Amino acid sequence: MGIPRVLNKRNRILLGELTKTDFKLRYQGSVLGYLWALLRPLMMFAILYIVFAKLLKFGNDIPHYPVYLLTGTTLWSFFTECTSQGIQAMLVRGDLIRKVSFPKYILVVSATMTAVINLSINLVVVVVFALINGVHPSLSWLLVPFFVLELYVLALGIGFLLGAINVKYRDIMSIWDVCIQALFYAVPIIYPVTMIANTSAIAAKIILLNPIAQVIQDVRYNLITTETITVWNYFQNPVAMIIPIVIVLAVLSVGAVYFRRASKFFAEEI
Amino acid sequence: MSKRKIGIRKEVLLLDSPYAIEVKKLSKSFRLPTERSWGLKQAIFNRLRGIKGYKDQKVLRDVSFNVKKGEFLGIVGRNGSGKSTLLKILSGIYYPEKGEITVNGSLVPFIELGVGFNPELTGRENVYLNGALLGFSHKEMDAMYEDIWKFAELEQFQDQKLKNYSSGMQVRLAFSIAIRAKGNILILDEVLAVGDAAFQQKCNEYFASLKGKQTVILVTHSMENVKKFCDRAIMIEDGKIVQDGDPKEVAEKYMELFK
Repeated sequence: MGIPRVLNKRNRILLGELTKTDFKLRYQGSVLGYLWALLRPLMMFAILYIVFAKLLKFGNDIPHYPVYLLTGTTLWSFFTECTSQGIQAMLVRGDLIRKVSFPKYILVVSATMTAVINLSINLVVVVVFALINGVHPSLSWLLVPFFVLELYVLALGIGFLLGAINVKYRDIMSIWDVCIQALFYAVPIIYPVTMIANTSAIAAKIILLNPIAQVIQDVRYNLITTETITVWNYFQNPVAMIIPIVIVLAVLSVGAVYFRRASKFFAEEI
Repeated sequence: MSKRKIGIRKEVLLLDSPYAIEVKKLSKSFRLPTERSWGLKQAIFNRLRGIKGYKDQKVLRDVSFNVKKGEFLGIVGRNGSGKSTLLKILSGIYYPEKGEITVNGSLVPFIELGVGFNPELTGRENVYLNGALLGFSHKEMDAMYEDIWKFAELEQFQDQKLKNYSSGMQVRLAFSIAIRAKGNILILDEVLAVGDAAFQQKCNEYFASLKGKQTVILVTHSMENVKKFCDRAIMIEDGKIVQDGDPKEVAEKYMELFK
């Protein structure tokens, strides 16, 4: 193994070809094909917007709340798609694992690539939507990719860890589905953090330290409005800023180490 | 979960060594679930009751042999004797449990033809995907593309989905891609056992062309092929080598098993 071999020629070819195949297969046989991928966060947004913004009057105090909400649903869709595809990657490609020798992490990475492509296109939709909504473009938009990368690293770490366990214990995917449901409410997607902060500052702080929440808030801050609560402006403490990043790196390291050890026996256990 | 032992598998490039593959005291066992221990609940339950939840099944015991460069080695044995496990360990798919394997040169395994073939993709797309698994880039595949289809005699089906191919057609296409692979050591697991007479003829010509040029390890049940192609043969029984040497003698010994 080791770093030099991580992306040697053969692995690069394999990663590219598997990504292409995944992408083709996913949207084949459906009438709207690839459009579905783009429509998913938009439709989720439409439903949430009607229920929460129109009926329950959430986010009236936030400028550009629709864009704010759409950013949240887009990043959330990306995270859930990345993790669930990553976790199932080994089972989907069991035939390859049983018959060819290759570094298995390629499976997890290629499975998440479709989500990355979808996100890139969806972010363009978000930007167009923001411009229509009257958000002024600014240089801070350039920071967005870094936060997206942070979210991707977290999703990849979860994919490695849970994906490796899922080879042996197939319950993991069902458990993760439940976790995703719970996480959705633990992350400020539909509700603004201000709503929590008004009742309990501690709760708001805990919610913000979740890397998913931190990323969503930071993207909103840099993309839409500086009237967004972020870890940075809420804690006023550099140590707090590091916590979500430490969590992300810890998940990735544990995931990578465990995956590397477990992957030696994937061919026997799959 | 007790930690499992792992032996050594090395890939080297030694020009002065006479051997393409060296296997020293290789052992392997599989963990077979004893009762239904598939799933988290059962795993926790087993642990609480102090049950392992699996049984170690010895598949290979202290197997040692060398393969010289350019040698055509046949491996025979009845079903379940451990041949395929041995091939998978040589190919790096399974990890050895004990012992040491040295592979000298680049090894190309054909455990099965058409690995990664997807019925929902077209013939064309499958060719590139399968090629990628053999380590060929898109560009390299472009260069071989016409030849692959010509050899398979399936040019007019390129853009059909693979699910519309007959199984014989799929095998022909897969074989046609497989023989492009470049490596100094080829590992073949019963790929001869499929296809019609014409296809068998093609396979035989291919193997005859390899003889003396490349190191080949062939697992087969066809004693005719063992006698025809192999310079040497090994018979495995119950995870151990019971005979190693002249293909004719090994073939006879193998036939005795079924008397």
